[in-house]
Amino acid sequence: MKSRMYQLLWTEVRMLVNQFKQTITTPSMLFFYCVTVFGIFFVSMVVSSMLTLTPVFLQLGSVLEDIIDRGMLFAAIGLLSASSVVSGFFGLGPASGLTSIQENILLPAPVLPYQVFISNYVRRIVRRIVFVFLGMLAVLPLLTEANLLFFNASFLIMCFILLLETNYFLGAISSYIRIKIEQRTRSRLRFMVAALLGGITLLPVLPEFTSTFSLAFLVPSNAFTMVLTEMTGLFSLDISFIIGFELQFIVYMIAFLFTANICNYDYYEQFSLAKGRDESEGNFSRFARGEVDFSNTRFRDPMVWIMLKDFYTRLRSPFQIWKYVYVVAGTIFVVYLNVFRPEWFRSIQIPANLAFAIVPAFLLMMILLIQMSSVTSMLSFADEKENVYLLKASPFKTRDIVLAKFLLSLFEVGIAVIPACGLLIYILRIEGYLALITLAAPLTILFTAIGIAVGAYVPVLTNDPRTLPVPLAFSYPIINLSLGALMIAIVALFADSQNILEILPLYTISLTVLFLGIAAKAMNSYL
Amino acid sequence: MKSEELLRLARVLKIPLSKRAIRRSWLIEEILLEFERREPETAQARKLHSPAIQIEHLEKRFGSKVAVRDLELKVNPGEIVGLVGPNGAGKTTTLRILTGIIKPTRGAVKVNGFNMFSETVKAKHCIGYIPEKPTCYPSLTAREYIMFMSRIYDVPPEIALVRMRKYVDVFQLDEFLDAYIGTLSKGNLQRVLIVGIFVRNPPYVLALDEPIYGLDPRGAWNLKALIKRLRSEGSAVLISTHILEVAAELCDRFVIMNEGDVVGRGTLDTLLQYHKDARNLEEVFLGLTGGIPQ
Repeated sequence: MKSRMYQLLWTEVRMLVNQFKQTITTPSMLFFYCVTVFGIFFVSMVVSSMLTLTPVFLQLGSVLEDIIDRGMLFAAIGLLSASSVVSGFFGLGPASGLTSIQENILLPAPVLPYQVFISNYVRRIVRRIVFVFLGMLAVLPLLTEANLLFFNASFLIMCFILLLETNYFLGAISSYIRIKIEQRTRSRLRFMVAALLGGITLLPVLPEFTSTFSLAFLVPSNAFTMVLTEMTGLFSLDISFIIGFELQFIVYMIAFLFTANICNYDYYEQFSLAKGRDESEGNFSRFARGEVDFSNTRFRDPMVWIMLKDFYTRLRSPFQIWKYVYVVAGTIFVVYLNVFRPEWFRSIQIPANLAFAIVPAFLLMMILLIQMSSVTSMLSFADEKENVYLLKASPFKTRDIVLAKFLLSLFEVGIAVIPACGLLIYILRIEGYLALITLAAPLTILFTAIGIAVGAYVPVLTNDPRTLPVPLAFSYPIINLSLGALMIAIVALFADSQNILEILPLYTISLTVLFLGIAAKAMNSYL
Repeated sequence: MKSEELLRLARVLKIPLSKRAIRRSWLIEEILLEFERREPETAQARKLHSPAIQIEHLEKRFGSKVAVRDLELKVNPGEIVGLVGPNGAGKTTTLRILTGIIKPTRGAVKVNGFNMFSETVKAKHCIGYIPEKPTCYPSLTAREYIMFMSRIYDVPPEIALVRMRKYVDVFQLDEFLDAYIGTLSKGNLQRVLIVGIFVRNPPYVLALDEPIYGLDPRGAWNLKALIKRLRSEGSAVLISTHILEVAAELCDRFVIMNEGDVVGRGTLDTLLQYHKDARNLEEVFLGLTGGIPQ
């Protein structure tokens, strides 16, 4: 009889194989994967031809050495580990990997918590490796153009993932410390331990420990920074980067086994408590909740009802409140920056020899920032969870539902884009090209419509409308990047012609209508 | 049954397949004979500890909210106990503590004589659980899931195959055996979970949370008949349900909960004796949990 550990691992691998089989035999899933992989490939080809990266990368080392010092680099990467430790203290630790399915199947089964953790983790790492591999293949043109050796780039990414995974374990250990402390005391002072742990993590990144090769390089962030510096030659100590990798790997394995060892039934409890909190209204939501009385509304339009419903539903999540705080505070901050240009926060001075790359970099940054802000629109249907079927069955026209989702998302995305773009035009000052920032408006409209269309497809591909299928989630930024790049290309092509005043709105409106039409079609094809 | 599965079963059951031509009917007969030879051996192999489920002074708090208060409950082998109560009474919390998913704030839970929190694996080995909301790995096929459960519960492969075939036939799952669980309806998913439980070694200690949920009348009838048969074979069953007709039909005793407290317990006759105005379980239940609506 094979061990339970073996059975759990076998089943996890089996599920991955089955998912792969399902993907290649489901045309819509395959389509979205193809869009993702070929889209990234295409975008990286376009970007590499636009940016001519080789000279940029050749000069990057010397530019970086002028701008930052060695201690700053170690501190920046050390902050990643410290933030994992601090956030891990307040987090669920290994329980964050548990699912409701495991709760019902494995938690009542005669398997030990560490077995559940290891099988979960193996699945997570296999998935991650496959996605990284696909990602590396897709950005091959960029790597080639930047004259980066595929092996070197892959190795560096692998080491970075190793660092992130080790940070995850450090967070898990931090969470374990919190559980143990909470079993002894409920004093508010216990939260001070998070700061203490963060400080302990940051201590070995001080220049006193990292200026020469020492035991401090056993700390994962230092080991990774060593790999980075020794591979790129930036602040190099002339030590083989392989030593850095070996140190990283040893600490990763120790952290993995340690985390497996501290997994106990407390984590089941943590998961159940967190799930309970998800299903009930928290104190913060009660404080922040808005009130809407549909029985006494002056609105007679179903579209407005849906928008109000979504607005108040979102408002009950603490995240949304923080988002509005960020919008208000962020906008005030960027207005202050752009008006007063303070001494303590200078915009980046681009060296003359890199000036040729600044406009494309600005546009790329703008597209990426709007892309990040527009994720809300993709989630507007997923946030409905199972209620999406209720919405579909309600006496509303599909067109009204889609338009309501679009308009509210446009508002949400629009306000989130303002501080991001304000910061961008302050940091990357490009004399004579500032008008390019106006492209943020059509990009926001277009990306929001794409997000609505992609989000509306979730219940078409799966009967679990809560969870975005991986190919859908991945294809969204790629569609955005492709169509955003196309918009920029059109603007560049017709920049000197009056026709741009007709072509740009036509491009934006026709694609927006097309994607909203696709969203309506998706809603009419639910499983 | 497909020919491939027949051959797989024959190989696992070590039925000689040396003849030049094998008739399907002969093979089925041989397999059935082998089934009969093997199943009784395992069925009689063990007996449950008495009481099979023992809950003492159980209390569970979520912050300041008391979900279950001072619960005492015993289920003996050969007995079906119904845990009934309105929404939020603490039934599901009780079952989740009983199956070791969460820990109690206070009190002890024993399954088949094993303490759930000091001899966890042994205790969990004995108990089968059907959750209130059936969920399962969407990327496994029903067959893979059932075999996975058999391995987790240390059932030898040949016995697992025999039992899987038996219960797949009982719950009419044959056409869904190789379907991905994510594509199954709620009712069929519930059947798969049920087969996943019965593939283990009998007699069983079962904690069933709304087991009839999603089953069609035939499936529900089959499950009820099976539970009654298991009772006569010495299994112990704790059922949490809202459907009082099901509870009245199946259960030997009842524990009625309301807002975390036990507000009534006993057989239907005992409960009716104490509540003279009530004519059936429904009226006893309503009387104990807020009064009969006028």
